[in-house]
Amino acid sequence: MIILFVALPLVVAGILPLVGKVSRRVVPDLLANAALLFLLVYAAITGRHLIAGGPVLQQLSWFGEPVAIRLALDGFSLFMLLAIAVVGLAACLFSIDYMEHYGAKANYYALFLVMVAGMNGLVLATDLFSVYLFMEVAAVASYALVAFGLGQDELEAAFKYLMLSVVATAFILASVAVIFGMTGSLDFAGVAKALQEINAGAAVGVASAFFLVGFGLKAALIPFHAWLPDAHPSAPAPISAVLSGLLIKVSGIYAMTRIFLNVFGLTPALSTVLMSLGTLSMVVAAFLALGQKDMKRMLAYSSISQVGYIVLGIGIGTPLGIAGGLFHLFNHALAKGLLFLTSGSVQQSTGTRNLDEMGGLAKRMPITAATNLVGALSIAGIPPLNGFWSKLIIIIALIQAGHPVFALIAVLTSVLTLWYFLLMQRKAFFGKLNEKWAAVKEAPFWMTAATVLLALLCVGIGILFSSTVTTWIQPAADVLADGVHAVIGSWGF
Amino acid sequence: MIVQTALLIGLVLFSVLAILLRDLLKSAISLAAASLLLGIIFFRMNAPYAGVFEISVVAGLITVLFILTIALTKAGDEVRESRAANWVFPLFFIAFIIIDALVMKGLLRKIPALASGAETGTFGDVLWKGRTFDLVGQIAVILAGVFAVLALFRKRDKHD
Repeated sequence: MIILFVALPLVVAGILPLVGKVSRRVVPDLLANAALLFLLVYAAITGRHLIAGGPVLQQLSWFGEPVAIRLALDGFSLFMLLAIAVVGLAACLFSIDYMEHYGAKANYYALFLVMVAGMNGLVLATDLFSVYLFMEVAAVASYALVAFGLGQDELEAAFKYLMLSVVATAFILASVAVIFGMTGSLDFAGVAKALQEINAGAAVGVASAFFLVGFGLKAALIPFHAWLPDAHPSAPAPISAVLSGLLIKVSGIYAMTRIFLNVFGLTPALSTVLMSLGTLSMVVAAFLALGQKDMKRMLAYSSISQVGYIVLGIGIGTPLGIAGGLFHLFNHALAKGLLFLTSGSVQQSTGTRNLDEMGGLAKRMPITAATNLVGALSIAGIPPLNGFWSKLIIIIALIQAGHPVFALIAVLTSVLTLWYFLLMQRKAFFGKLNEKWAAVKEAPFWMTAATVLLALLCVGIGILFSSTVTTWIQPAADVLADGVHAVIGSWGF
Repeated sequence: MIVQTALLIGLVLFSVLAILLRDLLKSAISLAAASLLLGIIFFRMNAPYAGVFEISVVAGLITVLFILTIALTKAGDEVRESRAANWVFPLFFIAFIIIDALVMKGLLRKIPALASGAETGTFGDVLWKGRTFDLVGQIAVILAGVFAVLALFRKRDKHD
């Protein structure tokens, strides 16, 4: 019953506002977290058995009559579902304490779950239009969540995000229309098959360019990144964690790689474009992050830079490169989720995001400081944390594929990453305690618990990286490395 | 062909007017006119379902919502707008038209034409048998919209 990944969060979201009338806090907290915990357990434990014999294709029926709900679960989608469930659960746990002062908690969880349902739907969809539609589901919920604080900043950021997101979806929809006009099909398998048969290089080029702009905007690749440094810092911390950790990856990178690699087929030209865009984002955003004073803004630029690594890895197109890119996607989701959560703890305790005003907070918030350090070192690629291994795989793949210059740039950018994260750690947590923060206390239980959970995962995956790669990453990378055959052979209904 | 061209030109003209007009009310009405023309084009191209939806929802319902919202705003709330739109938009528009014409000219001979035919089956059939998963997505979008309105127009109790 893989439809549960979409249906369960939607149903729980539907009843939450009603439940919220009776119980303002406890029951909504419990329901939302239980739903996400269930999805995590379902993805982690049952998922792998489900796809043991190849991809699962599900045709749903309504009172015995088949309806047009077709879902597909393969290694790649299962991997994404797991990432969504892990980071989603951590952010949801963090919300128990963090969202207390915002009010309207039931409503917040409802929007959160609709966003999760949208992302899960996108990951399970088997046709281009459903991809567009579920992308919109997640996006509409996220606009409201960015603006949830109702302050001037939040509303402005949400508006900017909405405007650029609309441009992105317009490009994506235009491309879907071109593809439909050309092949007469929206189904991944149908489109892939038709594109093999007809000779329409120019039209595929136009469609690819539109998709690249659309998904590039969604993934915030440079030069399409303008909205992200405003939208992500303005949102409540758990939402920043989900937006940076998951949403840009699901609606940007997942959709892009699924379509480019499994439906269109990766051409050498497309591979070069992806690698160049990835490298550009990686380098430029790292420099931009270096100059930031706002803690969350620095993290937002860092996200753009790390998305660059992921696109660079996947863009190589070799099995090892794809595995490295996907592994980095997962590691970055965990670590950046963690960092946005710790920045939320700091903001709630001190009331500021300005790094210059902080200092010495490690004395008052030891757990937050320690978990923040784990996240920062993980993204910077320090062994034995998880981020080290994924960056190493990407760099080895680059050298193997004969791109030593790209490999060198990736290494140097990693040094830059370490530089700005150490700056952040030093300014916020180390050094002399600023007098102002003498009364600051460690974050409440659930906020700390969520960050500790993610930090433990960062360390654990770093130590057990080889088994993580073989059980989760490799099956996902195999699907992508298989190219169009993965879809044509087994996805036809 | 002449009617089709006239309809398309009208569609573009009203769309441009909707962007350029300073008066929001006139702008909303231009948008309604544009979508009415688009609806007629849909009918002429054998897509009655799309036409009905375009005219009833976009030209009808959404225009009503726009006009209601405009009526609810107070006079004197004027925001100074950047004048840059006056020259930036035409520039973009002309560039777009040129690129569009070039791309379409390039594609015309390359894309194999799809067999054209009237929409078959009843509307319910199309939606239920053809695109059920989209229906789930639609429900989710509506839920998201409702929750968004509830969240953004809530009483600002403790936070402020």
